[in-house]
Amino acid sequence: MTTPAIETFDLRKDFGSTRALRGLNLQVNEGEVVGCLGPNGAGKTTLIRLLLGLLIPTAGRAEIFGMDSRRQTVQAHRRLAYVPGEASLWPTLSGAETLHLLGRVHGHVDEDYRVTLIDRFGLDVTKRVRALSKGNRQKLILVAALMTRADVLILDEPTSGLDPLMEQAFRLCVHEAKERGQSVLLSSHILSEVEALCDRIGILRSGELVEMGTMTQMRHLSALTVEATFEGNVPDVTRIAGVSMVEVQGSRVRCQVRGSIEPLLQVFASTGVIELLSREPSLEELFLSHYGSPTAEVANADRGQ
Amino acid sequence: MLTEGSNLTLRREARIDRSSRTVIALLTARKSIRVGAGWGVVFGLYVATQALAYATSYKTPAARQILVDEFAHNTGISALVGPANQIGTVPGYTAWKCLAVLAIIGAVWGILTSTKMTRGEEDAGRWELLLVGQVTRRGAAQQALLGLCAGGFALFVSTALITAAVGRSSKVGIGTGGAIYFALSVASGAIMFLAVGSLCSQLSTSRRQAASFASAILGVSYALRMIADSGSNLAWLRWVTPLGWIEELQPLTSPRPIAFVPIVGLVIVMAVATVNLAGRRDLGAGILADRSTISSIRQLPSNPLGLALYLSRSALIAWAVSIAAYGLLLGSIAKSGGKIITSSPSLRSVFARLGVSGAEAYLSVALLIMSVALTFVAVSQVAVARKEESRGQLDNLLVQPFSRSSWLGGRIALGVVAIVMGGLLAGIATWTGAVSDHAHVNLLSMLGAGLNVAVPALVVFGFGVFALTIAPRYVNVVTYGLLVWFFLVEIVGGGVRINHWILDLSAFHQMAAAPATPIDWTTNAIMAAIAMLTAGLGVKLFTLRDLKGE
Repeated sequence: MTTPAIETFDLRKDFGSTRALRGLNLQVNEGEVVGCLGPNGAGKTTLIRLLLGLLIPTAGRAEIFGMDSRRQTVQAHRRLAYVPGEASLWPTLSGAETLHLLGRVHGHVDEDYRVTLIDRFGLDVTKRVRALSKGNRQKLILVAALMTRADVLILDEPTSGLDPLMEQAFRLCVHEAKERGQSVLLSSHILSEVEALCDRIGILRSGELVEMGTMTQMRHLSALTVEATFEGNVPDVTRIAGVSMVEVQGSRVRCQVRGSIEPLLQVFASTGVIELLSREPSLEELFLSHYGSPTAEVANADRGQ
Repeated sequence: MLTEGSNLTLRREARIDRSSRTVIALLTARKSIRVGAGWGVVFGLYVATQALAYATSYKTPAARQILVDEFAHNTGISALVGPANQIGTVPGYTAWKCLAVLAIIGAVWGILTSTKMTRGEEDAGRWELLLVGQVTRRGAAQQALLGLCAGGFALFVSTALITAAVGRSSKVGIGTGGAIYFALSVASGAIMFLAVGSLCSQLSTSRRQAASFASAILGVSYALRMIADSGSNLAWLRWVTPLGWIEELQPLTSPRPIAFVPIVGLVIVMAVATVNLAGRRDLGAGILADRSTISSIRQLPSNPLGLALYLSRSALIAWAVSIAAYGLLLGSIAKSGGKIITSSPSLRSVFARLGVSGAEAYLSVALLIMSVALTFVAVSQVAVARKEESRGQLDNLLVQPFSRSSWLGGRIALGVVAIVMGGLLAGIATWTGAVSDHAHVNLLSMLGAGLNVAVPALVVFGFGVFALTIAPRYVNVVTYGLLVWFFLVEIVGGGVRINHWILDLSAFHQMAAAPATPIDWTTNAIMAAIAMLTAGLGVKLFTLRDLKGE
């Protein structure tokens, strides 16, 4: 059995009285791309900084290829590369000098791939860092991480500030990494990016991993999305067991159903439904089902008046 | 017709409108008043100790006449700290001893504060948030200038209050009016260079560049003042340099308020230009063009220690040049300086018992200034390390196969080498200057004295590294606090009788007065050991804490 690329064991982190991470257990296998979702403050960046050894765990531990990220930091870092959402680089160095320095400190650089990456991202490495836009700085730190061909890539909102074309270039890089057997932990707010790239997805909520699995598994375990159109008024479905995230627009209703769909169908049949659609939820809907939708709250509030 | 609700809304909007016109001024004032008032207290205490020490050491007219004979026409001393007018009186001596020194320290404070509060805030991206509101770029510059003005005023008030208080002593005899005029003269240096720093912040593309430009202006100003006071026919040069204008104010001797005209004029011109240029440039850019592209990789280090050295090179070279230049200057008046020390009957007998010459006695006092300068090197090295962490630049290195202890160990090595080399440089430069003045001083003893004055800086550095690991956000408070504490205890302890336990807590006090007295290598070894122990403990603790931003 191979050692997982990343593994955490009851990983906990407190900042004073705030519990940022609550006993998290996560595993990223070799050659696997795992996405990490969660709203601001869910604990994604805290998790990543713990994996990198930049934060000290309050309890539990994190391992990179079986090496403790706190006690064997240097050994673990030989096998990983990291991209932050916003890197603070040295403003007086040029892009080329930054890549040269970070490559030398890391110890391994695929020179040919570096040239490919610079070309692919259209990066001007002669400019000083302080003269680069936010997007170009992000490209620079992406190239710095990817050129190492490290066994594990830890990416914290890596496409922050990139335009759609560059985002495509980034997706190509992740596919290449996966083909080479590299492992990737991707934290992102761009759900389409996570859905397109990741083998498995974890959803963090208030420092806890509330959902983890492949898209198929998550869909199977999650609610079904139902949309219906009525001849007259939309019936009140908010009190039906298993129904959530109700959205009403004129004579149309959209909701999610967990468990048996039969009670909902009985109400629909008695009200005069003229169109009925049901489908598995998208990642966005899965994500929102764990956090609640603001529009659903508004719809429920309207109905309550 | 306005309803009660719409009245409330209008009042709230009016409040928001008013607060947008003052938010930068208030934020800048809050920070600069706190630091300005603190430095004013240090200035006031320095003035008080110099006045009291003179009144106590030179009690008789005969003793004072020796000083007058030696220094009234000494061009070397005059070039260094200005002409010695009426030094046979307590107010005259106090003005001569304090004005030039405090004006320069105030100017340095002005440069650091103004560039930090204007360009530094802009570099950090905080002004961008405010400028997307109802504040214009010109408005922001105006507000910042107002806030800085409040800081300069706080420095003036603190200095004036303490000077006036000590002036009431019958031994000192400085009137309230004289104290206020003197404090205003001292604060003029800070106020002028607050304005100069603000203008340089508009011209430059970074805070560092702005501080370099303003420092160069201060350096030229000092050099011109020196030439003007060197006994040549160029005395008129005093009227073309800000430090010369301060000298022309002649506080506590023959006040010439007319010299306030160029001072006020400079401040107004700088302020108007600052506001004007702020409205003409892009946010984040400078009026002067910046070289934004580099065609080839320069001789760039390939490890973090090399990077630290590479990024600190300008500051370290500037410190080295300053220490060397000041050492040469201090050494070049060693014989005259020796006479001033031994003109005090009590000190003469002390040094006679020790069997040292006046020049050596003078150099031991002069090297205390070098010790303070080296302590500033220590403080700045710790501050740079903290900045690397708080800005997140350290993250880029620590996510590589590079340990925390290697990074901090490298930083410590760089700091220790800079301090020790600075000490040796101080010794060599002072010896070179003394030899040019035909003073009989031994090179080896001056090298030893140079190392001797580096030890207090090592102590501050060691505690700074420790503070960096246990209280990173308060590291500047700890290092500057130690520096001020050591310095105040030393100068107050020299003037008035205080408890020996307090004296013993100053590293400057523990330092032997070399080359006048033999170097106490045991004490130095203990202090160096304390420094290494605290720094070593810091390295250990650094591996146990989270990295922390601003």
